[in-house]
Amino acid sequence: MSGARGRLPSERTLRVAGAIIALLGIAVATYIAVADASRGSPVCLAGGHGCETVAQSRYSHLLGINVAVIGIGGYVVLLGSALAGGDTGRFTGFLAAAVGFGFSVYLTYLELFVIDAICQWCVASAVLMTLLLAVNATRAFGYAGAELAAVADGGAAAAGRGDTLG
Amino acid sequence: MASRKAQREQARQERLRREAAEGAARRRRRMVQLGVGGALAAAIVVVVLIVVSQSGGGSSGGSASDVSDAGLVAKQLKGIPQHGNVLGDPSAKATIVEFGDPQCPVCKAFSEQIAPQLISGPVRGGAANYQFLPWLIIGPQSKPAAEAALAAGEQGRFWNYIGLFYRNQGEENSGYVTDDFMTAIAKGAGVPDIARWDTDRQSSKWDSQFKSVNQRAGQLGFTGTPSIYVQGPHGRKVFTNVPTAAEVNAAIKSVS
Repeated sequence: MSGARGRLPSERTLRVAGAIIALLGIAVATYIAVADASRGSPVCLAGGHGCETVAQSRYSHLLGINVAVIGIGGYVVLLGSALAGGDTGRFTGFLAAAVGFGFSVYLTYLELFVIDAICQWCVASAVLMTLLLAVNATRAFGYAGAELAAVADGGAAAAGRGDTLG
Repeated sequence: MASRKAQREQARQERLRREAAEGAARRRRRMVQLGVGGALAAAIVVVVLIVVSQSGGGSSGGSASDVSDAGLVAKQLKGIPQHGNVLGDPSAKATIVEFGDPQCPVCKAFSEQIAPQLISGPVRGGAANYQFLPWLIIGPQSKPAAEAALAAGEQGRFWNYIGLFYRNQGEENSGYVTDDFMTAIAKGAGVPDIARWDTDRQSSKWDSQFKSVNQRAGQLGFTGTPSIYVQGPHGRKVFTNVPTAAEVNAAIKSVS
């Protein structure tokens, strides 16, 4: 078991990566939400009207709430789970990333086959959510029960991988 | 004595390590079980979100007290000139002409999925303007709905009205096109003078327009709504099926 874990990035690395990606996700989703609330639509950096078209579609809102606002909530949960230690943090991170990834797949399908327009910011968010699923799944399944394993291994080595970001 | 004590201590340490290892293994097994359960729960949550998204945010449409998406429609049309039922620059080289029935569910899908791309692309960009011609083929309620839209056009809000109507469309011929529903749509569409709109929509002046549109649709060989053609200085492209935005864009280029 420790051999398999040895091939994985350390949990500290995964948590730092998860926190950074979640922060990037918050930034992207906040931009979309602020653009929607003020000027009307996010601007595609590479030009075109894809972002405007997607933002104006009926799928940009869920129960009257901009999907980007829901995305901010999801990324905040993922950031919190990256900061939280133990199996609670691991499981919460995996669950939130799985929901976020599934919904991102649906939104990407809508862009490609229903709305027929691609918003770069939405694609960026989908990529970030995919990375977060990979990071959180690795953390959840690779490091579940890591604290007890550290005791069993005599403490020092496994515990040294760190369960804190500080 | 000391040796036996050390042996007991060593045994205790071994037992603690064994128990911790067993505990860790149990937690890992439990985590895997939780992970599988969590993945299933995540899938269920995603399915619920998709169902809510597909249902248009929970509203089944056709409700005067629950008109939604007025902001979205206003945002989509913001800054684009409207002259009656024509959206965009009146002097644009090409004109997209849509024959639609306010009660038609396929027109609703076109209005929500294809039209926004045309509006944000060639119409906003000035390459084409967009004319909507009410072609009443679904049933008796189509006429008052179209009259209400045309009356809104008298005050520069035709496209806000028809866009918002589609986003709140109910089941065809179910009786949802009431005065209250149409007034709620007019208010949501930002029609400035509701009293004037109410008078205008009840005028008989629209009848000749409906008759003319019906004749034109027949001449063009159209059999259902929405039907689209694109007209420009270099010809006309008539679509026999509901076109994609890419097909309409290509037609604009070819006739301009």
